[in-house]
Amino acid sequence: MKNDLTLTIGWLYPELMNIYGDRGNIAALDKRCQWRNIKTELLRLDVGFSRPDLKRCDILLMGGAQDRQQEAVANDLFEKKEDLRTMVEKGIPGVYVCGAYQMLGNYYKEANGDKIEGLGILDLYTDNPGQDKKRLIGNCVAYSEKLNYTFIGFENHGGRTHLGKNVEPFGRVVKGYGNNGEDKTEGAIYKNSIGTYLHGPLLPKNPLLTDYLIKTTLEIKYHTKVPLKTLDDELENQARKAIAKRLSVAI
Amino acid sequence: MLNKSIIFCGKLISYVSKILNLGNGSTWPGHIALKINQNFINQMLGKSKTKVILVTGTNGKTTTAKLLQAILETNGKKVVLNSSGANLLNGIASAIILNSNLNGDSNADFAIFEIDENTLPQIIKTVEPNFIIALNLFRDQLDRYGEIDLIARRWKEAYIKLRKTQFILNADDPQIAYLGNDLKNVDYFGIDSKGNDISEHASDSILCPKCGKKLTFTRHYFSHLGDWSCKNCGLTKPNHEFIKSLFYPLSGTYSIYDVQAASLVAKLNGLTITDINKGLKSFRPAFGRQEMFKAGDKNIQFFLSKNPTSFNESLRAIAEKNANNLLIVLNDRIPDGTDVSWIWDIDFETLVRKGMNLYLAGDRVYDLALRMKYAGIVIVDENIFENLNEAIEKGLYDTGVKQTFYVLPTYSAMLEARKIITGKKIL
Repeated sequence: MKNDLTLTIGWLYPELMNIYGDRGNIAALDKRCQWRNIKTELLRLDVGFSRPDLKRCDILLMGGAQDRQQEAVANDLFEKKEDLRTMVEKGIPGVYVCGAYQMLGNYYKEANGDKIEGLGILDLYTDNPGQDKKRLIGNCVAYSEKLNYTFIGFENHGGRTHLGKNVEPFGRVVKGYGNNGEDKTEGAIYKNSIGTYLHGPLLPKNPLLTDYLIKTTLEIKYHTKVPLKTLDDELENQARKAIAKRLSVAI
Repeated sequence: MLNKSIIFCGKLISYVSKILNLGNGSTWPGHIALKINQNFINQMLGKSKTKVILVTGTNGKTTTAKLLQAILETNGKKVVLNSSGANLLNGIASAIILNSNLNGDSNADFAIFEIDENTLPQIIKTVEPNFIIALNLFRDQLDRYGEIDLIARRWKEAYIKLRKTQFILNADDPQIAYLGNDLKNVDYFGIDSKGNDISEHASDSILCPKCGKKLTFTRHYFSHLGDWSCKNCGLTKPNHEFIKSLFYPLSGTYSIYDVQAASLVAKLNGLTITDINKGLKSFRPAFGRQEMFKAGDKNIQFFLSKNPTSFNESLRAIAEKNANNLLIVLNDRIPDGTDVSWIWDIDFETLVRKGMNLYLAGDRVYDLALRMKYAGIVIVDENIFENLNEAIEKGLYDTGVKQTFYVLPTYSAMLEARKIITGKKIL
């Protein structure tokens, strides 16, 4: 393997969009690269970040936030949405969790009927049924056929997301609610961008996904297949097994 | 007359249930009282001399309530204290019944009630308190309590309706301080120290509560508490009172806030610094909050930690004590919050001293172990326990004579660990 591999990780809005331990996703990407002697550079893209910085990123991560924080972020990101769209269309890998996932969709409809425009990057929309309907909260397990892997995480969302024709579900719900609690889909995948309600955070608990993202990112950046050294995932597996056992699901 | 009958029956119920050993009889009388007369609490408090003090906020409620109780009691006041629970109104009604004579006159000078963030708006519809102490708002159990902006909004709506209440607000917490803008009777507390120049990861209120733009901090004490102002709309931190020369019975920056808040209320009720300090010196920690146990020739100290901010502050306080042996216990039951993702917001990377012996346990011990792995902290397999009993055994065994074994548990883990420790023969 080449010795000078470097990944530039772009963390969108670490200051404001970080509510569900999203920092863990960064740590997982970062460490699993470093343990394989792949260098990493972390770019924190807070409100007011520059377009060239965004374009430099090889992979993007964005988490969830409270409403007020989300508003501040939306105002900033709308100005740069075409840059983000170009990257997503080019296949730059990304993980967009919870609030970020919703924001990348076409719109978010509030209980009173008000529509908040989304970035329109992922073909999906979200309905909020209002305070009377329960939030979808709890441990969540989803299976991805594409990766033949079971994802484990935690979801906590009021909005119900429905997928359009141009995206595939990220996984099929095995336990929990997923996108809307009805159609058994969880998240969305489009090219190499993943939108999901799973936090927990997602990447430390699902190392196969993390490695898949690293591999894909390297291939796109260096235009060649890069074999990844196998790591000791004993603890990761134990953490997965413990929760799978409790939920009585096979992983 | 109705209320007198209620009090008579209530006392009788409490007495009988104690004799028959049906629990401690603490909420039954209240339950029945409110069934018979919905306005029982308001009517009773309205005509009594008892001053009602509500304590709320994410962290420090129990400690602040107990500090205030210690100060007032040491100075000869009769205090009723009721901790929060599922049947809070029943608990308050019961406390009133048990502390009233059969004529329906309360004999308490003060009633201190600890109220969680979410229940507060509902409670103040029924009870108009003399004082509300609002300590802070941090992210905590998002699965149950929801997001803090929403809580702050509900508080604001509820507080405005209270005409007589004196508000004791934390000036260093932007969202809490801003509540005071629309209120008449407000006193602010805060701290007065050097603080850190860098912000912490688990900061929640870095946006201006008024205009939504980013706040400027010249000093951070911890999390989002500090010297703040808004360059955009001009909102600034209100002036606050800092009572000097107080005795601090607990360690950690966070307990300075609790002591200042409790002392400010005591002062507003006419007590002098000498009176207050007498009380602070008599203070004994609440259940699991820096509570200390003897284990033969060793000590065990608990630092209950429920969210990223209290965890960070506990770790900091423990680091200042040069701890060698620390057990962290993570459960994910209802009182702990069922979502454990918040452990990734704790600054283990900078707050755990290299070379410290760490022991891990709890329902989610492997999630905790994983968190440590990605923080670059090596934990040997033998120190990762599915069984809490064994973890305490090992940690205590490794702790040197006259040294302290520190235990940092979530809520249900604290109850469990406490039971194990107090049940041990060696104590």
